[in-house]
Amino acid sequence: MQNSTIQAAPLLEAVELTKVYEDGVKALNNLNLVVREGEIYAMLGGNGAGKTTTINAFLDFIQPTSGKALINGIDANALPLEAKKHVAFVSENVQLYPNFTAMQNLDFFVRLGGKSHYERLDYERALHRVGLQSEAFDRKLKDFSKGMRQKCGIAIAILKDAPAILLDEPTSGLDPKAGKEFTRLVAELRDEGKAILMSTHDIFRAKEIADYVGILNNGELVAEKTKAELEGVNLEELYVEYMAGYMDEAPVSGSLSNNLS
Amino acid sequence: MFKFIFIKELRDIIQSSRFTISFAVCSVLIILAFVMGAQNYLSSKAQYDAAIQENRNQIAAHTEWMMVEHSITLPPQPLMTLVTGVSNDIGRNIAMSGRGELRAENTRFNDEPIFAVFRFMDLEFIFGIVLSLFAKIFAYDAINGEKNRGTLKLCFANPLSRANFIAGKLVGSFVGLSVALLIPILIGCALLPVLGVQLTTDEWLKLSLILIAGILYFGVFLAITIAISASTVKPSNAFLIGLVVWIFAVLIIPRTSVLISGRIVDVPNIDEITAQKNRYRTQLFDEDRPKMSNFQLPEGTEIENAMTAFQSFMSDLASARQEKIDVFNARLNEEYSNKKRAQEQLALSLSRISPTSVFTLVTTQLAGTSLNLQHNFMDEAYTYQNAYADFMQEKTGSNRSSGFRMIMITTGGDEEEPEPLDPDELPQFIFSGQSFSEAAQAGMIDLSLLILFNLIFFGGAFRAFLNYDLR
Repeated sequence: MQNSTIQAAPLLEAVELTKVYEDGVKALNNLNLVVREGEIYAMLGGNGAGKTTTINAFLDFIQPTSGKALINGIDANALPLEAKKHVAFVSENVQLYPNFTAMQNLDFFVRLGGKSHYERLDYERALHRVGLQSEAFDRKLKDFSKGMRQKCGIAIAILKDAPAILLDEPTSGLDPKAGKEFTRLVAELRDEGKAILMSTHDIFRAKEIADYVGILNNGELVAEKTKAELEGVNLEELYVEYMAGYMDEAPVSGSLSNNLS
Repeated sequence: MFKFIFIKELRDIIQSSRFTISFAVCSVLIILAFVMGAQNYLSSKAQYDAAIQENRNQIAAHTEWMMVEHSITLPPQPLMTLVTGVSNDIGRNIAMSGRGELRAENTRFNDEPIFAVFRFMDLEFIFGIVLSLFAKIFAYDAINGEKNRGTLKLCFANPLSRANFIAGKLVGSFVGLSVALLIPILIGCALLPVLGVQLTTDEWLKLSLILIAGILYFGVFLAITIAISASTVKPSNAFLIGLVVWIFAVLIIPRTSVLISGRIVDVPNIDEITAQKNRYRTQLFDEDRPKMSNFQLPEGTEIENAMTAFQSFMSDLASARQEKIDVFNARLNEEYSNKKRAQEQLALSLSRISPTSVFTLVTTQLAGTSLNLQHNFMDEAYTYQNAYADFMQEKTGSNRSSGFRMIMITTGGDEEEPEPLDPDELPQFIFSGQSFSEAAQAGMIDLSLLILFNLIFFGGAFRAFLNYDLR
């Protein structure tokens, strides 16, 4: 569905990705998407549309029923340890370890990501870059606001220096200022060549920074638009148009929502 | 990766306020258990020394061994106060007689009944109740808490295997908490000599094994709690399930096993047996009564020899009667003790389902305060009875049992004032107890069971996490 004259190799790729749960609920249905170097792909959709399930498939938290989730060409479910060397992840509500300081959290997660050569100065630079105040570096995370924790999360992703980044509703619950800062950072990472796949409910932010916007409905990719295609288009109307049919046909039940989100 | 998780776990434990509070409470309790144990020991030792001295004074106040009322006392031992077991429930004093049955009387609870209600805060209590709860409080959200916080997803977004994570988590928690517990334990051990409790090498070795058993027991509850945490989604559910498991393991199973074994193995009532013994004794005495009534001194017996002849006659009668009583009592005792032991063994076997019972058994066996303490004390008392009987035979010419005695005192002569008795002449009762190797051998099965419980539950936690939904 993507048009590009000179295309880099895909860093994140879903190939006919399907997930059917034991209770018969189809969370993903033949999903195909590609994110290349220097691209941001925003997945839009209601609760239970399959956004988080897609990210979970890339992280091997679920085993797809069929199809593949490839990270840098490596099957994330067949060779998860190898695939995860090439991806960083920032979740919706970054909590980290509340008894650790920001520095200690960074040190742990960055080492876990396979980077053990960093020194304190590197951590300080990363935390400065994401906009965390110096006096917070050695404070325990339990005293941090959500925005500050989110900054730590993105600092970890920056330090891991993986070519691909997965963001699961990263701006959810952030105040407008923190959301804007976060968006700026994501755009910077894209400019550095990272391939970013993000799930979001934030239509305006998606339109602002995404190179591709995919709309998921009931586990299916029902629309995919490039930045150019979205120029002059009211994305909100487009989104509602796609979602309306879904909302009428299949209202999301509690259990369904739990399984899919 | 294992190393990162292991270090993270240690750091996470040490830096948490939950640890600070729990550690402070446990440290105070552990040190208090040592201090109170030492004080109990010193007080028991003082009581024991006073009882021995009183016994000596009583002997020295007499001039005739026939008049002596001798009793032996179970000496207190330092480990008995650290792991009290049954030491306060069994009689500490035995009134010694040259023959017949011995009975241990005067338990610690006779003197201080308040302790029978609330019991002592010894090491067994601290480990058995407090530290198992400490493990539960600490680890109930070890896995599902990380899931709820989102750190589990963040960890596994990296090239980290589940096996490394759970292994690091289990070993890190175990090492972190165990080492933390070892600090107050070592302080407690160091306090013992300072407080005036001198332990022999054997006792130090036994105490070391008791502490190892304590750490293993703590490990069992830690592993059970982590296994539950890795099988549930909500920490609150894990806490409730863990609490139910804890109640069953610590409170229900040990008591229920005694009840069940009591229903399965029927043991006659001790009063019933005593009544049978008394009836038989009375019956034999009634049979001998006509012989006593018909006793006549041989013709021409001098009055000086009359008493000796009567004593000899009575002694022969008593000996013959006692022989029959001994045979009868031995049969009843054997039947009773066989059934009793069968009941105890069944209760112990059933209770071993619970790690708490296993821990209690291993520590009491090592401290010498298991059910065997009473058997050992009585066995040693009966062995001493032979030496005592020989001594009294030599000194008085008769093997005196309890009951009446007749002493003829002649006056008016110019004999010298009789000398007071020398208590040192009497054979000393020395309670040897168990050596380290004997105690270790006795506790080996239960120590091995604790290791097995650890392997099973650590394996269970490992397996549960391999199937855990990380989302």
